[in-house]
Amino acid sequence: MTIMMPAKDEAVLARRDAIIAALRKLVPGEGVISSAAEMLPYESDGFTAYRQPPMVVVLPETTAQVSTVLKYCHDNGIKVVPRGSGTSLSGGALPLADAVLLGMGKFKRVREIDFDNRAVVVEPGVTNLAISQGVAHAGFYYAPDPSSQIACSIGGNVAENSGGVHSLKYGMTTNNLLGCEIVLMNGEIIRIGGKKAEPSGYDLLGIITGSEGLLGVVTEVTVRILQKPETARALMIGFAEVEAAGQCVADVIGAGIIPGGMEMMDRPAIHAAEAFVHAGYPLDVDALLIVELDGPAVEVDELIKRVEAIALKCGSTTCQISESEQQRLLFWSGRKAAFPAVGRISPDYLCMDGTIPRAALPLVLRRMKEMSAKYGLGVANVFHAGDGNLHPLILYDANKEDEMEKAEAFGADILRLCVEVGGVLTGEHGVGIEKRDLMPEMFNEIDLNQQQRIKCAFDAQGLLNPGKVFPTLHRCAELGRVHVHGGKLAFPDLPRF
Amino acid sequence: MDTLKVRDAQDVEAAVRAAIASEQPLEILGHGSKRSIGQPVATNAVLDLSALNAVTSYEPNELILTVQAGAPFADVLALLDTKNQQFSFEPMNTSRLLGTPDVGTIGGAISAGLAGPRRIQAGGARDHLLGVHAVSGFGESFKAGGRVVKNVTGYDVCKLITGAWGTLAVMTEVTLKVMPRAEAERTLILRGLDDIAANRAMTAALGSPYDISGAAHLPGSALRTVQGPLGEIAAADQSVTLIRLEGITASASSRAASLSKLLQSYGAAEIIEDSQSAALWADIRDVVPFAASGPRAMWPVWRIVCPPASGGKLGQEIARRSQGEVVYDWGGGLIWAALPPSADAQAPQLRKLVDAAGGHATLIRAPDDVRRVVDVFHPQAPGVAALGERVRKSFDPRNILNRGRMSRSLSV
Repeated sequence: MTIMMPAKDEAVLARRDAIIAALRKLVPGEGVISSAAEMLPYESDGFTAYRQPPMVVVLPETTAQVSTVLKYCHDNGIKVVPRGSGTSLSGGALPLADAVLLGMGKFKRVREIDFDNRAVVVEPGVTNLAISQGVAHAGFYYAPDPSSQIACSIGGNVAENSGGVHSLKYGMTTNNLLGCEIVLMNGEIIRIGGKKAEPSGYDLLGIITGSEGLLGVVTEVTVRILQKPETARALMIGFAEVEAAGQCVADVIGAGIIPGGMEMMDRPAIHAAEAFVHAGYPLDVDALLIVELDGPAVEVDELIKRVEAIALKCGSTTCQISESEQQRLLFWSGRKAAFPAVGRISPDYLCMDGTIPRAALPLVLRRMKEMSAKYGLGVANVFHAGDGNLHPLILYDANKEDEMEKAEAFGADILRLCVEVGGVLTGEHGVGIEKRDLMPEMFNEIDLNQQQRIKCAFDAQGLLNPGKVFPTLHRCAELGRVHVHGGKLAFPDLPRF
Repeated sequence: MDTLKVRDAQDVEAAVRAAIASEQPLEILGHGSKRSIGQPVATNAVLDLSALNAVTSYEPNELILTVQAGAPFADVLALLDTKNQQFSFEPMNTSRLLGTPDVGTIGGAISAGLAGPRRIQAGGARDHLLGVHAVSGFGESFKAGGRVVKNVTGYDVCKLITGAWGTLAVMTEVTLKVMPRAEAERTLILRGLDDIAANRAMTAALGSPYDISGAAHLPGSALRTVQGPLGEIAAADQSVTLIRLEGITASASSRAASLSKLLQSYGAAEIIEDSQSAALWADIRDVVPFAASGPRAMWPVWRIVCPPASGGKLGQEIARRSQGEVVYDWGGGLIWAALPPSADAQAPQLRKLVDAAGGHATLIRAPDDVRRVVDVFHPQAPGVAALGERVRKSFDPRNILNRGRMSRSLSV
C-alpha cells in the first residue's frame, strides 16, 4: 500500500452529521446513504487493491439535484468524488474519507434515439452495451467497446475516454462523442456540442473526455452511432517467436490494412486461456495473433487473404481462418477470457496498461522477462497489438510477505520502460491513483502545471476528485503566476525583418 | 511591422517572455495563408514560425509523423504521398477560397482545424493530433500527449489546441496520426435533386452499412460558373449530389453497386472512379464554387455546422432569405454559404436561423471592416463562453497570443 491520499480535512469530518442532514434535504428519499454497512459497496472501484469508505454517498436522480449538491459542497469546501458504475481499473473512483461520493447510477434513461442524425442522447448511468442494444433493431451500434461494456456506464466512459478492441479502427470515446451536459463544481450547468459534427469555440468536449472526473460531472451524453459492418471474420495466427508476430502487426498496418481488431497473447497467456476455454489455441507457439477484419463480405474475404500472406511471409507457424460466426467467437473466447484465465493460475495479479510504439514490442517483452526474473514474479501478456497497448498481468500472491509491494514495483518499472521507448503510462485505464505518482516519468513540472491550470479553470478550489491523476496538489493562485526572466530585453539575436 | 523570425522553441519562449514584459501582443504566423480568418488581430508584432520547418521523424509503419509547426503543408503531403499515406481528416486547402498563394503550414492547419469531406468518417484534425510541443502565454515550453495512437495519460490538451487559432499556445512541434491512402474510390452522382431530397438521400447513404467517406450536394445555381472538375460534371443548372466510397478496389465497387440500388428511388446514379473522383472531392473540400477567383469573389462566406439531417432545410432557408448561394458537405452537416455583400455579412439573420437549427456559423471570408463589426466565431451561451475564457487564461493570462482573434471582446 504505497500510494498516499490527500490529508483528511478534520474540520469537514467534524461537521459530518450536519453535512448529511443538509444533503438529505437536497436529495430526498433514499438518495443519501450514510451507514457504514450500506456504504460498503462503494469503498473501491475495479482497482480493488485500495479501499476507502467515503464520508457519505449521494445518489442524485436529476441534473438539478447534481447541481445543488455540487453547489452546496462548493460553498462549504467539501470534496466530491464522482462515480459511474465503478469499473475503473486505476482507482479513479476511489472514495476519500472526507468527501461526498456522488454516484450517478440512477441516471439510466435513454433520452433520444435519432437515426437520421446517427446520434443517441443518454443519461450517464446507461451502460455502454445498452446503447448498442437500444439501436440494434435498426442495424446500428455504438463503436467503443471496453471489455467491461456490460457493466460500465457511458458517463464513466467519457471520464476515462474508454476504448476496446475496436478502437484501432473506430476510435475511442473521444472520437465518438458529439456532446454532453456537465455540471461544474460550483453547480453551473454547461451544455457542449449536440448532434452536429463539432462544437464551436475551444474543444471543451475534447478536454472533458478522459479528464477522470476532475473537471465536471457528466449528466447527459450524445454519442454517434454507426451501421454494423456487414460481416466480420477472424484469423488466428501462431508464431514461434514474438518478434515475428510483432513484424506481422507492423506489416499488416504498413500494407494499408486497418483491422477491426488485432490482439496478441504471449505464451503464458495462451496457455492460461486455452486451459480455461479450450478455444483450440496452439500451445507450441510464443505468440498468438487474432486479427479481425470487418466490412462488406467481398472486402473481408480479400483482406483475409492479404493478411494470411503477410503472416506467412513473417514466418507464421499456424494460421486458421474463421469459417463461421461460431468459429470467430471461439477464436475470441480465449482472448476475452484471458484475465479470468490468468486468475486461475495465480492467486492475485496486477493488470498494467501502457502503450508503446509497435516496433518496440520485442524489446519491451525481452526486458519484461528480465524484470520477471529480477522480482521473482511471473508475467503474462495480452495486448491490443494494433495500437501498441499492452496489458502485462503481473502474477503474485497477496498472502505472501512483500509480494504485493514487489508486484507494484515491477509494474512501475514496466510503465517506466513504456515511456523510455517512446510510449505512454496508460493507453486506456487512466492514471487515477494507480499511475499518479509516475506522471513525472512522462511530464516535467511545467507540463503538469499547465494541465493543472486547466483544472483550475473548471474547479478553482480543487474540490472535485482530488488526489487523482496529479502527483502534487497545487493551489490555483500559485499556478497562475507569470515568470518573466530577462525583463524587457529586445532579444537582439532573433532575426528581424 | 516588427517580425520576429524564430528558429527554435527557445526563440519562441524568449519572444513570448519579451512580449509579456512589454505587454505587446504577438500575431502568430506560419505562412499567413489563413491570416484573414478570425477577428483582425490588433498588433504590429509578428512571431514568424516559418523557419521551424523540419520533419523530425516519419515512421510509416507506425503511422506516425512528427514535424515542426512551420513545416509547409504541401511538402508534408508530398512526403506522405511517397509512402501512399495521407491525413485522413482531409484538411481543407483555404488558398482557393481566400485567394492566397500559399497553402500554409502544418501548424496553421492544426490551429484552424478545418477538416474536409472525410470528417464524417475519419474525424477532424483534433482526432489526428497525438502530441504537441508548444509555448504557452506564460512563456513556458510544455508538451502534451505523446507519440502513440492510444493514450489517456493526463488531460487531452491536444484537443484544446486544435482549432484554437493560436490563442492558447504557440505550437513548435506536432505529432500526427497518418493513415494509408485508399486503394480505390468511387463516387455516385445523383442529378437534379432539390436540397431537401438530396439531404434525405445523403442521410439514407450515411445510415447504410456501406461506410461512406463523403456526401455533398451542390445546387445547380452554385455550379453555374464553376470551372475545373466540378464544372465538368455540372450540366444546365442541374444540381448534383455526390457520395464517395473508398477502400480496396473490390469493396469500393461492390459498395457502389449496393448503394446505387439503395438510392434508386432518387434516380439512377452515375459512378465515377479514382483520379476523376479525387479531383471532384478536392474541389468540394476547398469550396471551389465560392473561389476567390470566381464570380462570387466579393461575397462573404460562412461555414455552418449543424445536425446533418436538418442541413437541407436550413441551407434552403438561408439561400432564400439572403439571396445567396449554399453548398453542402458532411451529408448536410456542413453548409458553406456565400451571401451578397453587406456591412454585417447578414450575420444577425443568418445566426438566428442557424441557432434555431442547433448549429453554429463562422465567418470564414469577409473584408477586415466587416470582421471588425461582426462576431466571426459563433457567440456561445454565457456559461460556455465564460468557461472558455477561463481556459484561455489558463494558457495565456496576459492575452499575448493572437489577442482577440477568436473574440471581439478580447481584442483590446
